[in-house]
Amino acid sequence: MSYDGDMSEAGKMSRRDEMEALLPFYLNGTLDGAELADLEAWLATDPTAAAALEEAEAEFSGTIASNEAVRPPADAFARFAKQLDAETGRERKASSSAPSVVTRLWNGFRAVPASFAWAAAAALLAFVVVQQVAAPNSGPGFEVAGAENDLAKLPFALVKFKPDARMADVVTFMGNNGLKIASGPTVDGIFRIAIATTTGAEYDRLFALIAAQPFTETALGGRKPVDG
Amino acid sequence: MNLLDPIGDRADRSRAARPVMTNASSTDRELVGRVASGDRAALRLLFMRHHARVYRFVARQTGSDMVADDIANEVFLELWRQAPAFEGRSEVSTWLLGIARFKALSSLRKRKEDWIDDEAAAAVPDGADTPEVTAMKEDKGAALRRFVDALPREHRVVVDLAYYHGKSVTEIGEVLEIPVATVKTRMFYARKKLGEALKAAGYDRGWP
Repeated sequence: MSYDGDMSEAGKMSRRDEMEALLPFYLNGTLDGAELADLEAWLATDPTAAAALEEAEAEFSGTIASNEAVRPPADAFARFAKQLDAETGRERKASSSAPSVVTRLWNGFRAVPASFAWAAAAALLAFVVVQQVAAPNSGPGFEVAGAENDLAKLPFALVKFKPDARMADVVTFMGNNGLKIASGPTVDGIFRIAIATTTGAEYDRLFALIAAQPFTETALGGRKPVDG
Repeated sequence: MNLLDPIGDRADRSRAARPVMTNASSTDRELVGRVASGDRAALRLLFMRHHARVYRFVARQTGSDMVADDIANEVFLELWRQAPAFEGRSEVSTWLLGIARFKALSSLRKRKEDWIDDEAAAAVPDGADTPEVTAMKEDKGAALRRFVDALPREHRVVVDLAYYHGKSVTEIGEVLEIPVATVKTRMFYARKKLGEALKAAGYDRGWP
């Protein structure tokens, strides 16, 4: 027997069958008009209707439980954001007017795992605060782009933090060692960390320090100062 | 249950739960409008609101978490691409589920040889307890969940859309592209099957 049904098949249902078919929609609150009135009249007059409603309520609970037993992956959005970046991210960035460094960094955070996004957000905040402190007279019109250009001239390392890196650890470490995020993260979660030093030895020391941190997944040496 | 006020209590519950043009649904439409103008923050919010339901819908249609993961992402990429064409004639959630269903069916057709139909799978003897015997060992709620899961796909999806996704008869018709009478008929047979399974498992039920 086909259970697909059509108008004529539905038309063959007894009143009780029709009411049974409508009970789920009564429970989910989407029934209205004549059907709602019919169902309410049936509930009020048929002595077996209360039991039928209880059965539908049990199905309601069971179906919700069955659905909620299916657990979506926790990193779904991070992976979706990467797909979106791959499809349109670069085009949109290229076609739009030059966004601020803060906007670029913030947009980039969508490509990193959620747990790390908080750490990155804090690093961004620290970056902005550092720039504002460095330019106290700039006032509300403070130009991040100028500071960005200065950072871009500094020696740097490329760093990827572990997905479970803690915000407080990263911020404290960078603050204690005069490090700043120059740009990033890329779609692969890599940051360019500016290292404000004029000597190769100091660069090596700070780079080794970054690489040794428990929250660092990968560190690659970038432009290094030439002594003398 | 308040048997002294059989109508008032239930009618209040029905009206209170009714999702027609809620604030969430109207802001969903606004968010789609923002997505149409390239607003990724709006897309992110819609993803957070609807991804889990879309994922579960596809997972229960295809029986595969991996496929559900891929298709759910594709649905939101489609949202990004198609937002300018969204006319707001249906709820955003209904629109997304319609896209999800289309993609799930396409995926199932492509992988046809890798899949065993629900009913064919149910017919394969595995030497374990029958559903009825297994049900005797568990409570009614757990048995009901298993019976819902074991419904043929075309029936289970109607049950899921009504009970879990809160969709109306008309909206289910839109998502599945079937007449409203067919929605009601499928719901009738789905509930009948659940009743028969419960009865066979020893649980009293007044209907069927």
